[in-house]
Amino acid sequence: MTFRRKLLVMFALTVFLSVAAVAWLVSRVTQRAFERSEGDRTAALVTQFRREFSRQGEEVARRVGAIAASEDASRMAVKLSRPQADAGPYFELAKTAAENSRLDFLEFVQSDGTIISSAQWPAKFGYPEGAVGSLAASSDGGAFLKQEELQDGTALGLFAVRATRVGERPVYVIGGRRLDKGFLSGLDMPAGMRVLLYQNRGERFSTELLVDPSASAAENARSAVKLEPLIDAVRRSKEEMTGAVEWSGDQVGDEVFHAIPLLGAGAGKDRPLLALLLIGNSRRTYVELMRHIRSAALMVGAGGILLTILLSSWAAARVTRPVEQLAHAAQEVAAGNWNARVDVLGDDELGQLADSFNRMTTELLAQKERLVQAERVAAWRELARRLAHELKNPLFPLQLTVENLLRARQQNPEQFDEVFRESSRTLLAEIANLKGIIGRFSEFSKMPQPEFRPTQVNGVIRGVMQLFQAQLEAPGRAKIVCELQLDPHLQPVPADAELLHRAISNLVLNAMDAMPLGGRLTLGTRGDSGKVVIEIADTGSGLTSEECARIFTPYYTSKQHGTGLGLAIVQSVVSDHGGTIRVQSEPGRGTTFVIELQRA
Amino acid sequence: MKRFGWQWLAASSVLLASAVSVSVSVAGAETRPQYGGRLRVAMREAPESLDPCAGWGELQVDSLARWNLMRLIFETLVTVDDRGRIHSGLAVQWQAEPGNQRWRFRLRPGVKFHDGGALTAETAASALRTANPSWKVFGERDSVVLERDRGNAELPAELALPRNSIVKRDRAGKLMGTGAFRIDDWQPGKKLILRAEEDHWRGRAFVDTIEVEMGRSVHDQLVALELGEADLVEVAPEQEHRVTTEGYRVNSSEPVELVALAFVSDAQTAEEKLLRAALAHSMQRGSMRSAVLQGAGEATGSILPNWMSGYGFAFPIDAELKLAGHERAQVGTAANWTVRYDANDSVARLLAERVALNAGDAGIGLQSRAADMYRPDLLRSELRLVRIPLTSADPWIALANVAGTLGMAMPKENGEEVENLYLAEQALLAGQRVIPLFHLPAEWAVSAALKGWKQGADGSWRMEEVWVEKDRE
Repeated sequence: MTFRRKLLVMFALTVFLSVAAVAWLVSRVTQRAFERSEGDRTAALVTQFRREFSRQGEEVARRVGAIAASEDASRMAVKLSRPQADAGPYFELAKTAAENSRLDFLEFVQSDGTIISSAQWPAKFGYPEGAVGSLAASSDGGAFLKQEELQDGTALGLFAVRATRVGERPVYVIGGRRLDKGFLSGLDMPAGMRVLLYQNRGERFSTELLVDPSASAAENARSAVKLEPLIDAVRRSKEEMTGAVEWSGDQVGDEVFHAIPLLGAGAGKDRPLLALLLIGNSRRTYVELMRHIRSAALMVGAGGILLTILLSSWAAARVTRPVEQLAHAAQEVAAGNWNARVDVLGDDELGQLADSFNRMTTELLAQKERLVQAERVAAWRELARRLAHELKNPLFPLQLTVENLLRARQQNPEQFDEVFRESSRTLLAEIANLKGIIGRFSEFSKMPQPEFRPTQVNGVIRGVMQLFQAQLEAPGRAKIVCELQLDPHLQPVPADAELLHRAISNLVLNAMDAMPLGGRLTLGTRGDSGKVVIEIADTGSGLTSEECARIFTPYYTSKQHGTGLGLAIVQSVVSDHGGTIRVQSEPGRGTTFVIELQRA
Repeated sequence: MKRFGWQWLAASSVLLASAVSVSVSVAGAETRPQYGGRLRVAMREAPESLDPCAGWGELQVDSLARWNLMRLIFETLVTVDDRGRIHSGLAVQWQAEPGNQRWRFRLRPGVKFHDGGALTAETAASALRTANPSWKVFGERDSVVLERDRGNAELPAELALPRNSIVKRDRAGKLMGTGAFRIDDWQPGKKLILRAEEDHWRGRAFVDTIEVEMGRSVHDQLVALELGEADLVEVAPEQEHRVTTEGYRVNSSEPVELVALAFVSDAQTAEEKLLRAALAHSMQRGSMRSAVLQGAGEATGSILPNWMSGYGFAFPIDAELKLAGHERAQVGTAANWTVRYDANDSVARLLAERVALNAGDAGIGLQSRAADMYRPDLLRSELRLVRIPLTSADPWIALANVAGTLGMAMPKENGEEVENLYLAEQALLAGQRVIPLFHLPAEWAVSAALKGWKQGADGSWRMEEVWVEKDRE
C-alpha cells in the first residue's frame, strides 16, 4: 500500500470514527431526551385518561341522580310506600329509564334490598340485590366499580347509587355503564393512544377476558398473549405498572402500556382486583422521529465522510507528492542514477528534506567520484605493487645471473662457458617466468564473452572432478576426500559450459590450496526457486571476515605465490552469467563458495 | 229559584237532545261500511307454511295468528261460535247416525274454489283424509260421509278446527281454498297479501286486500301502528297500558293461549319425576303475572282455562319452595336443563329467564336460551317454553289439541261430563310432560281507520264486517 493510500485510509478512518462517535453521542442524547419526553407524554396522557374516566363516573352518577329525581321514580316511590303495594307495574320502568338515560345497568331497589325493576336482568324482580353492601352509605357517594351478575355471566360496570326519598322508605336507584367495547370506544382519547380492559375473572389469565374495542376476536387473542406478562404482574402486585409491547419486528408498531388496576370496594390490599385498564401509547411517532433523525445523521455523516475522503485525498496528494518524488529519486539513486534530483517546493520540512536529498546526492556523487578515483589509484598501486612484486622475483635472479656472468667473465674466463650455459638456462627460465606473468595478466584482460547454451551443471562439475581426480589422488600429497552432492533433478541452465568449467576449476584449485594437510572437498548442487545453487566447500584453514570482504578483488591474494586473479576471474564469469557468488567462511572451519545461477 | 230551575232544566234538555241527535248521526256515518281499502296487519309469528295440515302431530307448536290467516283463505264444513254452538260452514246440513259413528255432511251448493273449480264431495273428503289419515272419509253425491271407529259426538266441533279446512291441492302442490280471500302474494315467513274473493258464497268482503307482515316484534308493531303503517297489531301484556293510554282500541279475547313449560317426553325415572315436580313447585306464577305480564292473563296450573273447563281453580298455582327444595334434595346430582324460547317473543324471554331464576331457588340448574322454535331440530329440545293456542271453545277439542301438539296421547273418554274432562286433564298432567304457567288472551290493537273488527272468545278473527275508512290519510 502506498504512503498516499495509507495516509488516505488514516484520514478517512479518523474522520469516520470521529463522525461515528459524534453521531452515537448525539443519537444517545437525543434518544434519552425523547424517551424522557415520551415518558412525560405518557404520564400526561394517563392523567388525562384518569380525568376522562373520572368524568365518566361523574356522568354516570349524574344520570343516576337524574333518574332518582325523576317524576316516574318519585311516583313509584310514593306508590310503593303504601301498604301491600304491587311493584309489578314498574317492571319495565328500569329498562325504559336505562334506555332514556343511556345506561347499561339500572335497577330500582326497595329499602329492604328487593329489586323492583332491573334493566340488565328484568326477570330478577323481587330478588334481593346483594352486590351493593350498604345502599344507604353508597347513595351519596361517587361512582364505583362493581362486578354485576347477569344471567349469562358477569360484567364489569361503573356504578353509582342514588336514592329517591319519599316518605320513610326510600327507593334506591343503582345505575351504571358497562365497561366494555362501547364504553372504551366512547372515551375521548388523544391520537395515538388507546385503552384496553382486562376483566380479572378466574385464577388464571385468559385471552377471552381482554376487551379491545378496535380489534377483532382473533386480533384480540393475539393482543392478549403479548400483554399477558404485564397483566400477570399487575394481577400479582395490584399496582400500576408500565411495559413495552412489541407487536411485530417493526418498532413502529410498538406500544407502551400503562396498566392501572381497578379495585373494588374494600380497604387496603383486601380490595378485589376487578379489572385492569391498559392504556396503550403508540411509539410510532417517537420511532419515526428517531428514524428520521438517524437517517438525517447517517446522510450527513455519509456526506461528511465522502467530503472528507475527497479532501483527505487532496491533502494526502499534496502531502505525499514531495515524498513520492523523494522516493522516486531515491529509487533512481539506488538504481545507479546519481544525478537524480527533486523539486524543492517550499520551506517546510518536506522542502528541507528535498533540499537535503539533493545535497546528499550531490555529495554522494562527489564522494563516488572521489572513491572511484581512490579505488582506481589503489588499483593501480596494487597493480603496480603486484607487478613490481611479480616482476621483482624473476628480475632478481636475472640480475644475479647477469652479475654472475660478468664476474665469471672477469674472474674465471675458463669457466665462463660453463657459467654462461648455466646462466643462460636460468635467464631463459626467468624470462619464461616473466612471460607467464605477463600472459596471465593479459588473459585476465581478455576474458571472452560467454556463449549461452542449456548446460547441465552437474555434468560440468563431474567434468571438473574428473580433471582433478589424478591430482587429488597423487602420491605424496595429503589426502583430500572429494564428495559430490548433486541434485539429480536439477534443470539445465543457460550457461557457457567452458567458462563455467574454468570458474569451478579455479574454486577447486583454491580449495586444494587451502587444504595442504588434506581434508574434505564437497561439491553440491540444488535447485532453489528458479535458481541453481552450486556449493564448493572445503575443510581448510578458512578466511577472516576481512579476507572474505576482499577476496574477489582483482590481484588480491592471501597465498604466497598467487596472482589474485583466480577468484576475480570466477566472479567475472559468474557475473557474466547473471549470477552471484558469495563466500561463507570462518577461520579454522573451512570455506564455502556459493554460486547462484538463474535457471532461465 | 224553583221556576228558574225548571227553565234551566228544560233548556239543558233541549241542548242535550240536540247534541245526542248530532252525535248519533255522526256515529251512523262512521258505522256505515265502505268497500275497498287495504287492511294492514303486523304479527310476531312468522309461519313458513299456510297448509292447514302442516306440522300436525309432529310436536309443531302452532299459533293463533297462523290459524287466523288460514281461516281467511280456507273454510271448514262447520264453525263454532263463542258459546260452543255449531254453525254451518261449507256444509249446510249434517246428520249423525245413532251411536255417532257415521256422519253425513251435505255440502253447500255453488261454492267455488279460488281457481273457479266447484267444491265437490270428493274434494272435501280428500282434504279431510289428508288432515286425518286415520279417518274413513268419502264423498257421496253432494255429501261427505265420515265413519269413525267409535262414536264421537264432538266430531262437528273437531271439524271446525282450522286443520280440517277444505283444501284443494293442484299438481304443483299449490293450495286452493274457498275462503273470503285468495292468496295474491306469499313470501313464507315474511309477507302475505290476500285479495278479496269477488264471488264468495257469503258475499264479497269489504276490504280489497289484506297485507300481513310477519316476524315483526311487538315493539315494531306498535311503532307501525303509531306511524299509521299498520291497522291491526298484536299487543304484548306489558304494552296494553301504554296502547290504551294513547287512545287505541285494544280487543282482548278470553284466555285462549296456554303458556307452559313442555318437556319432549313424559318423566321416565323417579329422579326425573322429582326434578320436574320440584321445577313445577318452584314457579312463582304470581310474580311473573304481576310484573312480566303486567296482570294480563291468568296464572294456571291446568291445561284448560277456567272459563272453558270451570275447574281451573282446583289446580294449585302458588310456589312451594320448601317442597321444591325437598324434592330436589332427594335427587342429588343432576344435569342442568336448558329451556328454549321463541327468539322473537320478548315475553317468552322474560318468562324463561324468570323460570331459570325460580328453578335456581330450588337448586335446579336451568338456563334459558333463545331459539327458532320452527326449526325441526329444536322441536325435539328437552325443555321448551311454549305458547299453545287452545283453538276451540270446546274443552274436549282444546284439550285434545294441546295433547296432540305436545305429542301426548289423549286419554280415553268415558263420557262427556266435566268430571271426565277433569280426569282426562289430570291424566295428561300426571305424565309431567307439561307444566302449565299461564293462560293468555289474544290482544290486538286496532287503528282508528279500521272498523268493525272483532275477535271471538277463542281468539279467532271476525272479518265479516271489517272495513277501512278510505280517507284515513
